[in-house]
Amino acid sequence: MRQPDRAASPDDPRVDPDLDAVRAAQADRAAFATLYRRYLDRVYGYAFYQLGDHHDAEDATERTFMAALAALGGFRDTGSTFRAWLFRIAHNTIANAHRSRARRPTIALPDGWDRPAAEADPARLVGRGEELREVLRLIDQLPEDRRQVVLLRFVDELTSREIGIVLDRSEGAVRVLLHRALRELAARVAEDRLA
Amino acid sequence: MPILHTRAERLDRAVDALLAGSPVAPPVDPGLRPLVDLAAALRGALLPVPAGSRLEARLAARLATRSPLGDGMRAFRERATRELRSRDRLLLAGAVSSAAVGVGVTAYAVWHRSALRRS
Repeated sequence: MRQPDRAASPDDPRVDPDLDAVRAAQADRAAFATLYRRYLDRVYGYAFYQLGDHHDAEDATERTFMAALAALGGFRDTGSTFRAWLFRIAHNTIANAHRSRARRPTIALPDGWDRPAAEADPARLVGRGEELREVLRLIDQLPEDRRQVVLLRFVDELTSREIGIVLDRSEGAVRVLLHRALRELAARVAEDRLA
Repeated sequence: MPILHTRAERLDRAVDALLAGSPVAPPVDPGLRPLVDLAAALRGALLPVPAGSRLEARLAARLATRSPLGDGMRAFRERATRELRSRDRLLLAGAVSSAAVGVGVTAYAVWHRSALRRS
């Protein structure tokens, strides 16, 4: 694999923290388990927030990791991090799932929310269910690209640069989308308060 | 939109700090403060959704048992698809195949004729 042509500094956000694990997995497929365990919840969470359904999210998660393992040999750290690469696969997998359902679902909470959260602290989730439902209703009203940016930024904590790789946009374009999304959400919150 | 771009960059940096858990410095532009507060509320509301243990076990088993033969077939299929996608390579392969068939037929005809003469 080509060595990165940049200075490796721990403070450099461009340095991929997963690179050692990726190289190990490229040499020995069994080592992919490290990356799988590291990102399973995050990929599942991304799929769940996008698809709004527990079973569809599980299916998309499985497809994402199987595709990632199959393509791992081709991953190069030239401008992309592993997690941006992985979320791009997840994004495409979820887009296919949307196409196969031939409609864009509203993010549904109650059914899907209880099941995957069964191992989490139920009291905490029950208390926040109403707040989360309201937030998701507002996010669901955003244009698709802004909605994607909000979920990738706040659920999966990707950087704007990584989101740009996932959505095939420039870093600057993602920043502008995030700014517009937050302005729009703020306006909607203000409208709801007045109503 | 240079002004919007600058504000978008400042907001993005504030969100970076928020997600990293560091205290967010007040933005220079006071107009950004409500957006940073909203970003903090979003971060608090959008809880991580853990995958179930059944999915974790099932997928781990699938990943561990992926067959090497399947990998080989997939690699072959991808390579063949790539090769066939190239029009020049396809034309060249066709021309070489036609020439090979032509040479073969001619060689057979020459051999057949000389065999007939000998008999």
